[in-house]
Amino acid sequence: MAILEVQNLTHTYGGNTPFINDAVSNVSFTVEQGEIIGIIGHTGSGKSTLVQHLNGLLKPTDGKIFIEQKNIWDNPKEIRLVRSAVGLVFQYPEYQLFEETVYDDIAFGPKNMGLEGEELDTRVREICKIIGVRDEYLTKSPFDLSGGEKRRVAIAGVMAMNPKIIVFDEPTAGLDPRGREDIIGIIEQYRKATGATVIIISHSMEDMAQITDKLLVLSRGELVMFDKTENVFKNGEKLREIGLNVPIVTRVFNKLKELGVDVPQDVFTVERAVEVLKNLKEGDSNA
Amino acid sequence: MLKDITFGQYFETRSPIHKADPRVKMVLLILAVVFIFLSQNILSLTLSFLFVMGVALASKVPLKMYFKNLKAILPIIILTTVINMFYGSKESAVLLSLWKLTITYDGLYRAFFMSLRIVLLIVVSSSLTYTTTPNDLTDAIESLLSPLKFIGLKNAVHTLALMMTIALRFIPTLVEEAQKIMNAQKARGADLESGNLKERIKALIPILIPLLISSVRRAYELAEAMECRCYNGGEGKTRMKQLKVSAVDFYLCGFTAVFCTGIILFNIFF
Ligand SMILES: Nc1ncnc2c1ncn2[C@@H]1O[C@H](COP(=O)(O)OP(=O)(O)O)[C@@H](O)[C@H]1O
Ligand SMILES: [Mg+2]
Repeated sequence: MAILEVQNLTHTYGGNTPFINDAVSNVSFTVEQGEIIGIIGHTGSGKSTLVQHLNGLLKPTDGKIFIEQKNIWDNPKEIRLVRSAVGLVFQYPEYQLFEETVYDDIAFGPKNMGLEGEELDTRVREICKIIGVRDEYLTKSPFDLSGGEKRRVAIAGVMAMNPKIIVFDEPTAGLDPRGREDIIGIIEQYRKATGATVIIISHSMEDMAQITDKLLVLSRGELVMFDKTENVFKNGEKLREIGLNVPIVTRVFNKLKELGVDVPQDVFTVERAVEVLKNLKEGDSNA
Repeated sequence: MLKDITFGQYFETRSPIHKADPRVKMVLLILAVVFIFLSQNILSLTLSFLFVMGVALASKVPLKMYFKNLKAILPIIILTTVINMFYGSKESAVLLSLWKLTITYDGLYRAFFMSLRIVLLIVVSSSLTYTTTPNDLTDAIESLLSPLKFIGLKNAVHTLALMMTIALRFIPTLVEEAQKIMNAQKARGADLESGNLKERIKALIPILIPLLISSVRRAYELAEAMECRCYNGGEGKTRMKQLKVSAVDFYLCGFTAVFCTGIILFNIFF
């Protein structure tokens, strides 16, 4: 059953200037419960604009959004309920921390949803356990943490709202490789523990290849492709046309093939590459 | 809603007034304000009105824009009018008497004078802000205050002007940042739109604290960037854009001089 359906979504900023371009233009897609969807596209292609519609922060200029078959703008007064059903982690979420302790900051979201006492406490501690925020951190000030730790806490704050769909806008932006791995790890753990549907915007094709089931490709506000991740990456030509590319390992394997080495062309992650190369080596020594 | 706030009201029309030296415009504005307040009788007030209209038309900024500014202070105009109505001289003929309050013809006359003066002040000040960019205004202030360096305040003047320039430069950045933080907290279920006054003020904390922190961070970054470029105060600093007095400024001065003389004459002889 589709958990999210976007129909002909169009968004135009600042409607009364003469030279306007749609930031998002006539985009339609469906997401099934439990899928991990990646959104890729150039800077300014409308990714952030698109995801801000999913929890009702932006109102469509045109088109409809359904969460569990219910049009989210049917009752504008209840849009805050949508915000707890669809969690949105903004880019650089660490800049929105404000409470005195890490615990209070993580509790801010669930508290706004009306949770209190025991239930609130369990919720916060559960999330911390899932994504590995240790107990001694909970009483610290969020401003005393390192950059990567801050981001982890900020993400926990949205996860603690227990949303059915959780959206990450460039969650690994500005982190070193280690920090990126951490964040991707957190997202995977959270999904495993809760079965939530995940939508993630990223510029890292490697991250996308590693965790997403499907990719949605945007270019100048228009949906160019929406397909299984491997199908999108098999279509490197089309990605390059709009200034994107396939993961680096895939490029290596494409080049190997060009050079006459018989290797498969559906290698998108380093793990798979290692496997393929091992097989190739064993095949060689067997011959 | 936040993005509707624009600071500085510069409105480009390439009129002669736009090209005039901001220092000249600023000094003339102060003069004009003083003389509008000195307008004592109907003749001098008419002259003030003509002068202000002349400036407004010469700026080529649509009159609609001036009305927009007037609308913003409409409550003040109404309040002044009403209060002044009751303060006419007691000898004047009574127009209307309600309980202990009386409105005299003299009161009406005063009220009219006062409100027209305020309107003229707003329009003439707007003609400065519409025709001068905020950065030009700051440069003008720095230049006008530069005599203070002779009493040992050299760096203070430069620092003040620099602070104003930086503040102006960062207003759009802060507005954008505030909008982002508001969205982020809304996504976490923050309710900014409902509740009583106390609840609403409390709801601002999750926005103000991150905003404050990021402003401080920005300030440090900017200071560091300036130091890296060897910034060391106003000493020996030259300008890329020099302020220059041109023919337009002489016409403007002449026009204002005629106006001021007119007011003095009308006030003395009528
Ligand atoms: N608040 C806004 N007001 C006006 N235009 C905006 C705003 N936010 C984004 N845009 C414009 O909309 C387009 C899409 O932006 P965005 O959704 O942020 O792209 P992305 O996240 O893919 O980089 C861009 O052209 C951008 O300039
Ligand atoms: Mg973006």
